[in-house]
Amino acid sequence: MIGFLSAVEGFFTGLSRVHRLLPWILAYLLLLPLPYLLKHGINEYYVDLANRACLFILLSVGLNIVKGFCGQVTVGHIGLYAIGAVSSALLALNYNLPFWVSAPIAVIITGLAGILVGLPSVRLEGAYLALATLGLGESVRIMIAVTPALGSSTGLMMIPEPSIGEFIFDNFESYYYLVMTCALIGIYLSFAILKSSTGRAFQAIREDAIAASVAGINVPFYKLLAFVISALYAGLAGALFAHMPPGYLHHNNFTIIEMVTLLLMVVLGGIGNVWGGVIGAIMVTIIYDQTKDYYFYQPLIFGIIMVVMVVFMPHGIGGVVKQAMIKRKFIEKHEEASGPA
Amino acid sequence: MALLETRGLSKSFGGVQALRDVDIKIQQESIHGLIGPNGSGKSTFFNVITGVYRPDSGSSVSFSNQEISHLPPHKIAALGISRTFQLLRLFLEMTVLENVMVGYHCHTPYGFLSPILQGSKVRETDEKIRDEMIELLQFLGLASYANLPAGELSGGQRRLLSLGRAIAMKPKLLLLDEPGAGLSPVNLDNLMHTILSLKEKYELTVVVVEHILKVVMNTCEQITVLDHGQKIAEGSPEEVQNDHAVIEAYLGREMADEDIRQVIRA
Ligand SMILES: Nc1ncnc2c1ncn2[C@@H]1O[C@H](COP(=O)(O)OP(=O)(O)O)[C@@H](O)[C@H]1O
Ligand SMILES: [Mg+2]
Repeated sequence: MIGFLSAVEGFFTGLSRVHRLLPWILAYLLLLPLPYLLKHGINEYYVDLANRACLFILLSVGLNIVKGFCGQVTVGHIGLYAIGAVSSALLALNYNLPFWVSAPIAVIITGLAGILVGLPSVRLEGAYLALATLGLGESVRIMIAVTPALGSSTGLMMIPEPSIGEFIFDNFESYYYLVMTCALIGIYLSFAILKSSTGRAFQAIREDAIAASVAGINVPFYKLLAFVISALYAGLAGALFAHMPPGYLHHNNFTIIEMVTLLLMVVLGGIGNVWGGVIGAIMVTIIYDQTKDYYFYQPLIFGIIMVVMVVFMPHGIGGVVKQAMIKRKFIEKHEEASGPA
Repeated sequence: MALLETRGLSKSFGGVQALRDVDIKIQQESIHGLIGPNGSGKSTFFNVITGVYRPDSGSSVSFSNQEISHLPPHKIAALGISRTFQLLRLFLEMTVLENVMVGYHCHTPYGFLSPILQGSKVRETDEKIRDEMIELLQFLGLASYANLPAGELSGGQRRLLSLGRAIAMKPKLLLLDEPGAGLSPVNLDNLMHTILSLKEKYELTVVVVEHILKVVMNTCEQITVLDHGQKIAEGSPEEVQNDHAVIEAYLGREMADEDIRQVIRA
């Protein structure tokens, strides 16, 4: 398994030497036939599941930027997702704006809300920061739940699907191309951030904020920036969720349980590991789906998995794979050095 | 000309007065020693200069004739002051190369937008910075570890890396907090040699903190001695090592054996 992953990694690294975007284009091409395979190989329901996995990927990759790269605890992320979803829906329903206008505005609104969620991080750390962000996230949900204009009791219905000219993204397959493209670009940008000076600033803050500030990093600014970037991801995921057929939103989509689900993705995949976030999102989508008949016990199941992960695999699946790959590279180097026996 | 000058510099932590009315002038392109027994306020001196702690009111710190005592750490860093930490504070999960590249942060063009602006210009400068940093790592003998996590390095290598991170900031003033702590005498000699050549190469002004007198005797032009947060002596190495107050400060309290030996040998 690790051998296979190493081979795949080597292949993609080789491609990226030819052109930086080549591996991404290839990955995109490979993902194109997926809905066709799912629909005809299993059934159409799994295309919907793939779409949800893509939304979860956006959320978890975004959350990883603030939590994994920058080391800031946040339990309010689901509130940002709600803000993105509700603002895009309202802009479309009340002002007849097309998705292509309402979604970007919703993303910007969510980014601004990200500043609010991030502000406590300038003064607070750890559990205190968790409580502050939890409060902000929950107040978003409660606000939606008690304000009729935000769809308090019945939810928001008949949110229009995106369309280009005559073409409407009104079924699972067409919507897949929208969410998959966004998810892949989201993953790509997350890597670009990680490898840039901004990404190094985030990680330096996570490792040692005092050493980072003395090295010339404006720590409060970069903390806020991490919150804003992750809010942009959440806003986009929210907007895509709102307009996804059947175009219905309810505040029950944004509860603490959803937040725990989100945290589980990051913990399961491996905090700070981009691919870990992706794997986590896909796995949680599957676990979520497999346990939905016992939805009453879902929080318990997720809680147990999370505790087990934190205790026995603190770096998540991504961390284990990464460690194994490094080990393998060392062994290969060693064999190269000692020559054929 | 004095590059750094403090006047009436004080810092108290609750009841503990870690620094009391300290006046120090650091001359441009000199190498200045700051010594004193454990707990005498040496690290606190660095912490208030670099903005990690805000000094008490009435204190003044001027750098290149600019008052800096009210500035946050990153602004002070951008003016050209960099430092190492007694406990190193490396970014252990980041690679060796990334550690020095963080040091280069204030000189990164395009600011925080660089991940989005992926034009050829940005990538070109990024590569140039990378080459420059590899060269620095070569100078320190760490180039072959460039892509390993800093946490994999040995103690001595970590000391060198923390020095590299401070140098990568291209500072005018470099503050070193016990750079040789825990090193064997041979390694200590090597380290002092490295520090001197770095000073020449990058035209630095250097302040070295030590609690062992001998380490700074051969390298420093000027030495300031702190005790209980107060300046008790200042001058050339010869002047300081014969100063009565200094000998008393060192002998008048419990010390590690090696400290006493150092003092007696001096
Ligand atoms: N953050 C802090 N909080 C409380 N007291 C401190 C703090 N930092 C230093 N001190 C106190 O200030 C005094 C000087 O400490 P320090 O500057 O670390 O000494 P040195 O570096 O010379 O060994 C000590 O008494 C120490 O306990
Ligand atoms: Mg000290």
